[in-house]
Amino acid sequence: MKRSTLSRRTFLRGAGGACLALPLLDIMQGCDAPPVSALPQQFRGAGGPKRFVVFWTPNGTIMNDWRPSGSADAYSFGRILQPLESHKQDVLVLDGVDELSAYKGPGDAHQKGTGQGLTGTELQEGDFAGADGLSAGWADGISVDQAIADAVGQETKFRSLEFGVHVYGANVGSRISYRGPAQPIPPENDPTAAFDRIFGDLESDPAAQARKIAERKIVLDAVADDYQRLVKKVGAADKLKLEAHLDAVRDIAMRLDTGGTIGGACQPPVLGEVDDPSKVGNIPATGKLQMDLLAMALACDLTRVASLMWMNSATAKPFPWLDIPEGHHELAHRGDGDADAQEKLTRINIWYCEQFAYLIEKLKAIPEGDGTVLDNTLLIWVNEHQKGNDHDRHEIPYVLAGKCGGAMKTGRWMQVQGDVPHNNLLVGCMNAMGLETTTFGNPKYCTGPLSLA
Amino acid sequence: MNVRGIVVWAIVAAAAGGCQNGSGGEGATTGDSDSDGTTDGVAVDTEGGEAAECKGIEPGPSPIRRMNRREYDNTVRDLLGVDSRPAQAFPAEEEALGFNNNADALVVTSLLAEGYLGAAEALAEEAVKDLPALLHGCDVKVEGEDACAGRFITEFGRAAYRRPLSGDEVSQLLAVHQTAADEFDFATGVRLTLTAMLQSPHFLYRVEFGEPVEGSDALKVAPYELASRLSYFLWGTMPDAELFAAAAEGRLAEPEDVAKQATRMLADARARATVRDFHGQWLELRRIEELEKDDEAFPEFDPDLRPLLRAEAEQFLDHVIWDDKGDLDSMYLAPYTFLNGALSEYYGLEGPSGDTFQKFDLPAGQASGFLTQGGLLSVLAKPNQTSPIHRGKFVRERLLCQVVPPPPDNVDITPPEVDPNLPTRERFKQHSIDPACSGCHGMMDPVGFGFEHFDGIGRWREVEAGQPIDATGEILGGTTKGTFDGVPELASLLVDSPEVERCMTLQWFRYAYGRADAKEDACTLDDLTRQFAGSGRRIQDLIVALTQSEAFLFRRAPEGE
Repeated sequence: MKRSTLSRRTFLRGAGGACLALPLLDIMQGCDAPPVSALPQQFRGAGGPKRFVVFWTPNGTIMNDWRPSGSADAYSFGRILQPLESHKQDVLVLDGVDELSAYKGPGDAHQKGTGQGLTGTELQEGDFAGADGLSAGWADGISVDQAIADAVGQETKFRSLEFGVHVYGANVGSRISYRGPAQPIPPENDPTAAFDRIFGDLESDPAAQARKIAERKIVLDAVADDYQRLVKKVGAADKLKLEAHLDAVRDIAMRLDTGGTIGGACQPPVLGEVDDPSKVGNIPATGKLQMDLLAMALACDLTRVASLMWMNSATAKPFPWLDIPEGHHELAHRGDGDADAQEKLTRINIWYCEQFAYLIEKLKAIPEGDGTVLDNTLLIWVNEHQKGNDHDRHEIPYVLAGKCGGAMKTGRWMQVQGDVPHNNLLVGCMNAMGLETTTFGNPKYCTGPLSLA
Repeated sequence: MNVRGIVVWAIVAAAAGGCQNGSGGEGATTGDSDSDGTTDGVAVDTEGGEAAECKGIEPGPSPIRRMNRREYDNTVRDLLGVDSRPAQAFPAEEEALGFNNNADALVVTSLLAEGYLGAAEALAEEAVKDLPALLHGCDVKVEGEDACAGRFITEFGRAAYRRPLSGDEVSQLLAVHQTAADEFDFATGVRLTLTAMLQSPHFLYRVEFGEPVEGSDALKVAPYELASRLSYFLWGTMPDAELFAAAAEGRLAEPEDVAKQATRMLADARARATVRDFHGQWLELRRIEELEKDDEAFPEFDPDLRPLLRAEAEQFLDHVIWDDKGDLDSMYLAPYTFLNGALSEYYGLEGPSGDTFQKFDLPAGQASGFLTQGGLLSVLAKPNQTSPIHRGKFVRERLLCQVVPPPPDNVDITPPEVDPNLPTRERFKQHSIDPACSGCHGMMDPVGFGFEHFDGIGRWREVEAGQPIDATGEILGGTTKGTFDGVPELASLLVDSPEVERCMTLQWFRYAYGRADAKEDACTLDDLTRQFAGSGRRIQDLIVALTQSEAFLFRRAPEGE
């Protein structure tokens, strides 16, 4: 890549105008522990609420370098997971779960691997899709993060937050999160915009904030009434669309007062210099910022559910910061005998693991109760495939981290035998998060919970 | 002529060659391209069609349409006189069939609803700074707050909702104003009412109820609704004063009235912007600005050239459509392009100098309309080499509206490594040898090889890997078929094909109507294609014809609860 492009910087200023160096987490040290007393027991961790975070990466891994060796409790990481060495007691390497549903229904391997990763159900047939043509629509069901958010995300300022790092396109390969059938949630790729959305309101003084809330109530009530009236007059297809809009308006209205719970020592951070997030060369910097913001949003209890999507399905972006000029997708498709490609793919996955480790560190650095936010979090690393060149969706290389308030047992390499559909894992996550359910996604591909305890 | 059957043929042929999905018709397929890389499939209804019976009025599906970001920004510019383009902060549209205005794909999420709220607040706050203007001169001290609020709602509402408000609507908005005015003050009342209106479905969507038609289930699109259909299709914004007046005065009742307005509107710069928007999507020109090339393979590719490459394509298409013959043939075949100094240097041509773009006749045999321009050919290439596959796929999908099935899941689809001693087409030979590949790649590669004179960043080359370029190729197929040498010959084959004519019509159909074509649209598409052909394939005429169809002038009665 041209050096001139990659080093070109865009200077953006946050609402405060002043610049502070990132990471910002130091500022958050004084953040009040979120109040948990009001929470039902099953959603409570130790000294804070449980949180659910998805970390998503594309194009599969190199299994030989990913898989640990040894035994379930006495194991050594392979090369790819080495960066997790210092967090070994906080991670659960989950080995052998198959994305079985993703062999069914419309769409190609990338679309299915991505759209079904968190939904566990077939994609819709559709007249529209993204990059790959028409036959796949969106996922046909709610994603697990949203199902969890419906249970634990009612009291926070945001039901959930979706972060992206250079997620390109607006199609089934660039969405993992769904509010419901064919309701994809776009991730925010721009840390500045994410910052403004999450923390922007905190800039105003309490009186101004109260006034804003009062005004918004009047406006949003009127807007909701408007949609409500129209919904009654239109045909079925339009009704669905307008109802989704109405729900979004009501959701904002419902959360107007939740901003007030921040306060206390939780000071609004000031975003400093931000490198242009649309530049490939800035991906590492953008990713760190997004993870900082994600961690802060959890720390201040602005949300309890979040996801971070790294690029998109079948991404063709190169990794210039690793001196890898080839596109990831292209490399992933090379044969097993291509040692150069295999090595580069391993290095790409090591780099992703380093990012995963960074997020773990961030969450670990925020004290909560007698432990840290990580102890109350279920963090899961999801890949669209296991292997790039044959699109294998068996034995997806999941890594989980955090103790989920004691509901997940970490420090082990959990190898599951036989056909264990990933829907079971999604149920296991829901159970750990305190949701009582025995199935998720299309029940055809679910044989019960995979316990993480 | 049954053009659709040809698509079915293509799939069957591909399946016979070892592609998956050989069902031959239902369920067209997806291609495994890089999702941020190269092509975007377009949908084709692969139904084998009998000659459709074109009886009665068949408007096809009539989904409610929401503004996309471009339309939102244009609309608030025209409504409030602000150029702040607030929608650029909204999440990007979900795309369908290569277009970002597809009604089915435009779903509202919390993120977008928050965006609407924030933008409406900012716009309203700005607008009330000049309260007298907003009140159209109503003096609160003389006429009273209620009267002025009522007038604001009635008059601003008519512009924002693009039709007169009903009595109920005025009362409802007055109640919002009153609540806010009681709690705060009059100006706040106006501001919050405005904030609510800018989030109303009647503002953000094109709400249509239509009018009954005697002897048909279809509904006639009502005059104000039609004014909006015209303005959003042709200009990507709200109706202007003349359209509003035409709607109010019954001057949009007949198709001829609509055609007259469309013709008037085509002469406006806003129509040019719309045609550019279409090309930016159909020809993937938007992607030029995101191009990343391998520095080692193409050190000459300076990212600062990207906007220039896009400008080249736009200037060329603008010229053809507005200043020259305006026909499809010229788009495909014109032996000239538009260059400035930087691009002349880039292409290694003795072309224009300076910053301004000028028309330039390219060397004989090296030029063929938009098909030989650097931007498109860079988009349809890999970072470090050309991509015959993607170029062939582009021709099949974007220009012929065919469907190329994806490679089977178990096939290694790595493009061959760049080898300094082997030309590209040699390296891609595996595709024609391996029967698992040859069926599908027979559709793409031999078409894409025709572009081999253009390297991975779209510059002409005579030699690759020490050997003269072989740009011979073949279109295998039913209707569009034949051998050729180089892009100009390929383009000649294409412009002679009825499939290309119909595909151009179909792409404009999807863009104009914001939806996929359905089976019920067969007659409309046949009719539009005939008109397009009959006009000498002039794009401007096609645009006007699109305002004359049953799909445009009528809507389907709502179904279901």
